Amino acid sequence: MNSQIAAILTMDGVATGAIYVLIALGFVLIFAVTRIIFVPFGDITAFTALTLADLEAKRLPGTASMIAVLALAAALMEVAALLRSGATNRIPRALIYYLVLPLVPATIVWATAGLAMPAPLRIALTMALILPLAPLLDRIVFRPIADASVLLLLIVSVALHFALVGIGLLFFGPEGVRTQSLVDYSAMIAGTPVSGETLLIVASAAFFSFLLYLFFNFTLTGKALHATAMNRTGARLMGIRPQQSGTIAFLLGSLLAAVSGVLIAPVNTIFYDSGFLIGLKAFVGAIIGGLVSFPVTAIGSVLVGVLESFAAFQSSPFKEVIVFSVLIPVLLWRSWSFVHADEEDEE
Amino acid sequence: MRRLTLGIAACAAFAFGASTASAQDITVGFVTSLSGPASSIGLNYEKGINAAYAYQAEVDGHKINLVKLDDGSDPSAATQNARKLVQQNHVDLMIGTSSAPGTNAMLTVANELKVPFIGISPVNVPIPKEGHPWGIAVPQTPNLMVKVIADRMKREGIKTVGFIGFTDSWGDLVYNGAKAAEKNGDPQVTSNERYTRTDTSVTAQALKVMATKPDALLDGGSATQAALPLLEMRKLGFKGNFYGTPALLNRDFVRIGGKAADGVQVSAGPVIVTSQLPDSHFSKKIGTKFHEVFKKVNNSEADDGFSGYSFDGWLIFLNAAKVALKTAKPGTPEFHEALMQAIYSNKDVAGVHSVYNFTPKSYYGVDDRSLVVVKLVDGKWVYQP
Amino acid sequence: MSARAQMLVVAIAVLALLAAPLYMAPFTITLMNYIGVYSFVALGLVLMTGIAGMVSFGQASFMGIAAYATAWASALMGWSPWIGLVLAVVVTCAVAAIVGLATLRLQGHFLSLSTIAWGLALYFTFGNIASLGAYNGIPSIPPPSLGSIALVGSGQIFYLIWGALLVSLLAAHNLLGSRSGRAMRALRGGNALVESLGINALYVRLVTFVIAALLAALSGWLYAHMSRFVSPTPFDVTMSIIFLMMAMVGGSGYLLGAVVGAALITLLKNWIQDVLPLIAPSTSGQLEIVVFSSLFIVFLQRARDGIVPYVAQWLPEPRRERPQAAEAMPRRAQPAPGRVLMQVEAASRSFGGLIAVNKVSFDLRAGEILALIGPNGAGKTTMFNLITGALPASEGRILFADEDITRASACSIARAGIARTFQHVKLRPKMSLIDNVLLGAYARTRAGFFAGAARLDRTEEARAQAEAMRQLERVGLGNRPFDLAGNLPLGNQRLLEIARALAADPVLLVLDEPAAGLRRQEKMKLAELLRSLRAEGLTILLVEHDMDFVMGLVDRIVVMEFGCKLCEGTPEAVRADARVQEAYLGGVA
Repeated sequence: MNSQIAAILTMDGVATGAIYVLIALGFVLIFAVTRIIFVPFGDITAFTALTLADLEAKRLPGTASMIAVLALAAALMEVAALLRSGATNRIPRALIYYLVLPLVPATIVWATAGLAMPAPLRIALTMALILPLAPLLDRIVFRPIADASVLLLLIVSVALHFALVGIGLLFFGPEGVRTQSLVDYSAMIAGTPVSGETLLIVASAAFFSFLLYLFFNFTLTGKALHATAMNRTGARLMGIRPQQSGTIAFLLGSLLAAVSGVLIAPVNTIFYDSGFLIGLKAFVGAIIGGLVSFPVTAIGSVLVGVLESFAAFQSSPFKEVIVFSVLIPVLLWRSWSFVHADEEDEE
Repeated sequence: MRRLTLGIAACAAFAFGASTASAQDITVGFVTSLSGPASSIGLNYEKGINAAYAYQAEVDGHKINLVKLDDGSDPSAATQNARKLVQQNHVDLMIGTSSAPGTNAMLTVANELKVPFIGISPVNVPIPKEGHPWGIAVPQTPNLMVKVIADRMKREGIKTVGFIGFTDSWGDLVYNGAKAAEKNGDPQVTSNERYTRTDTSVTAQALKVMATKPDALLDGGSATQAALPLLEMRKLGFKGNFYGTPALLNRDFVRIGGKAADGVQVSAGPVIVTSQLPDSHFSKKIGTKFHEVFKKVNNSEADDGFSGYSFDGWLIFLNAAKVALKTAKPGTPEFHEALMQAIYSNKDVAGVHSVYNFTPKSYYGVDDRSLVVVKLVDGKWVYQP
Repeated sequence: MSARAQMLVVAIAVLALLAAPLYMAPFTITLMNYIGVYSFVALGLVLMTGIAGMVSFGQASFMGIAAYATAWASALMGWSPWIGLVLAVVVTCAVAAIVGLATLRLQGHFLSLSTIAWGLALYFTFGNIASLGAYNGIPSIPPPSLGSIALVGSGQIFYLIWGALLVSLLAAHNLLGSRSGRAMRALRGGNALVESLGINALYVRLVTFVIAALLAALSGWLYAHMSRFVSPTPFDVTMSIIFLMMAMVGGSGYLLGAVVGAALITLLKNWIQDVLPLIAPSTSGQLEIVVFSSLFIVFLQRARDGIVPYVAQWLPEPRRERPQAAEAMPRRAQPAPGRVLMQVEAASRSFGGLIAVNKVSFDLRAGEILALIGPNGAGKTTMFNLITGALPASEGRILFADEDITRASACSIARAGIARTFQHVKLRPKMSLIDNVLLGAYARTRAGFFAGAARLDRTEEARAQAEAMRQLERVGLGNRPFDLAGNLPLGNQRLLEIARALAADPVLLVLDEPAAGLRRQEKMKLAELLRSLRAEGLTILLVEHDMDFVMGLVDRIVVMEFGCKLCEGTPEAVRADARVQEAYLGGVA
């Protein structure tokens, strides 16, 4: 391996890692606030790419009807819950949040299907369509078992991933897609050609990490989320509703997944089931951050990307083995240095 | 109440094994992968069998019932499905499935339960020492697929070839085929790089291949994602030719591959270029018919090789059933034996891919006639005599 | 339901099962075989996850190791499948032991995540070993044979699968009722209690992990010879997740849950495959996984603990017999009264910059009750943790019976004869009173995992049960020994902790705020109990807040403030000390 190859591998790894950063930040965010390890994260990323590709090909993306069905189910569940608790005055509000708002982008997509649109509009529409996905899934799947153990939530999360993969195959078919390039630009860095896409991915990852930092440290909502993450009971006593925090966390998660989906679509072929492995590797990054620290998560995710790239060069058949084996020493280090004896599991 | 009745019926069916076919009907079981990683080609197999069933659904007045099951790309499920078809649906013959391990698994069941099996993916189960095997494989052997294209490379003066393929059984088969061809004086294989279908990048693998400075590249991927190494190699400035196997014959491969994939040459069953074949070619007539029926049933063009395997499997079965019905009744062990013997005794069965001659000594019944070389020119596969 | 009626029900069920090939359709038997094979793995998961609280996403890879081992031995080397069985079990258990040693120190979900990692790693490893057929797998695995009969057909291998499964279930049932089984159950809920009972938590976790792997190995061996073909796909992470689903649907805390879960999931998948084409003919294949997953989610939303406990609430309670009297267990020799039993010499402990305990020294004599008191934040609990080994001291020395225990683990301190209770009561709420007390007797008994599973431990077990019963009666909880500990009121839970500590036959009893949260009546009862224990020669150290309770009971008092020892002496002397008054009342001067 010469320095030229090492440079190319590093660039490639950083670009892949930057995608992982976005997803891993979402993992940490959602886990910290809701204790849910949201496995279907990668699926949402893949769905974004597939939706964008459908719009590009002037087809009606399956996500539109999927969102409509989910919105209907969530609204029904919410109304039923409100009726049971007697809070009928909150029904109109619930209908706006769970039914009307998600249906607006879905309706626009449905009405404009088949029309040629400029790329920025397509991207905006795709993101608007994907945004309600995670919060709706939260309402339908996780809200009824919000107080369950982390394990149960994890298993349900995995089952949800299976369901989404099946739905993805149904709506998008088994073939992969790749969208048009976002930018037509190429630079030379350290004597290595770097595509504009790579630069865009890295810049976006940095930008959104910074945005999250601002959000958590300088806005009231962000601080409330942070409080919920630190201490659920305490936050509740302070008048912060954990359900609302959960919805916001899922909304932000959806946003991060959508951004990564838009970014990855032009540089790689995305299939209905591409999300799992992308998500799993991002997850390794999140674990390096102990599922709590945002900065360490970001660094860890980039490391995973670079490691993956070099592992593929060293021995491509064993690439996954190498990437996932690294997890074990990391976990051991995590467990030695951060988990104290006073941690007691739930019975 | 209705739910209760349904439930009881389901329980009864479960406990005693449902059988609805009448005694004179022939029942055929078909397994493919409609979900999971193999579904991309699995759906093509499904479309092929739909076309085949529309083409002919009776033999000499005996209606044919077709039972279709999904194995989710899992060999365990394929085994379970095979047992279900035999033990619950009492099929006379099975056709399946879209992955090599799943097909091997089904063949194992066929041998145990003594029901004829037509494999539509490669198999590598050893031939039993006593008696005859209960199955055959329709496709060209992977070695043949690679040999035909490797011979073409040699003809074009290529000395060394790099390999990138899938991290799965298909990647193994193509690599082994290339290694086998190497011994016959075909190009030297310089690398064995692998990637998975869901990988986000093959830059590292492509760099590694480039470092071995091959004259050309052999692509051991399949379907859409087979385009990924081609795109990457061209991006890194690779100037050599690309070669591949029939697994690249896929609409989305052409779409995604775009300019980078242009000029790639692959070995292919003649069904891919039916309209370009001379009228004297064995596949011209039946292939034209196949494309017609396929379009009517599936509302799309048959531009892959896989649907043709399902179709040829069906033709082999139809020909065998015609013979077997003379000596035995459907649904009996005698009929199963007769079917298997008829598969062996029928000679020169022309399908859309090949002229088939099966013997109990091998699973495969194809020869060199079953593969032509086609080249991707401006998004179309062009026959290269 | 009486024990005899229970036996009868079990016997009829087993007979009906074994006669199944006579009256069931062949494909039903095939499905039953799959259910049986999967049940082994699910059973391992029940022991590991439901009982011992370790979640694994990697069980299918153990199954795969075993399947590949026997496939290699029987198909490639041409040896007998029975040699394959030995090889499969040995290789799988060895790998499990190594993986376990590397990862079982991890806590909670970190452990589960590491299992995903090695599950994936093993899958890709299988696929890349050319001599094992790589991704194409190994075909033509011979069926196992008994004598001259080859077990080829579904109806033949059925007996092998279900026979082995019944034996495994019985062994697991025996194990759970034994000393080691109780230790496994105690793992769930944290290490602090487990180590304080003299149980080596890592060892118990490791053995449990290996047992789960052993069951997966049996499953893998049966799978390989049943389908007679192996490839990497059936052993990937997805299958591991399905096994976990089986255990959770059936009821991960119950042995029978493994079989019920395996049956339900297998039948459900088969049923969906049959029914969906009638509803949605064109897309049924793709819909299968969607319908299956959705049903699973709805199920867990409705019945989180699984089917078995859900059904069991309507069944009559099995009646348990009170333990019979048995020969008393051997006891430790108590030191002569008045001898110095423990010496604390300038013990210090700091957390970062904060010094919680600063050069505290005191002696404890055999046969006395010594109280450690002080206002909030005085460092009492930290001192307590130093003595019991829950925390190591930063400086200084602690001697117990002339042995240096300053750096000893909680586990070995417990084995040396110090038994403790907890300020926040630590019991296992889902275990019965008597099982909680039996946990205390762990260090006094010997029977291992195998002895427990094979019922070779009955004499020792009977003696331990009788001992536990005696301690329960002594603290006044002897009338309902089979109630769940979680249903007791707080006062009785504290008494139960003392009974558990007494079952360990300790030299020194260390009580952390035993009177906290007790009513007056209960405090008097507790004081009475402690006095009678002292009369028997037991030494007691208690950390307490409640001055009234302490004053009338103890022989000597050590007062702490701001991490330092303030003074030491008899209750009267301490009461009269001006510094103590100031510390408690705050600047009287």
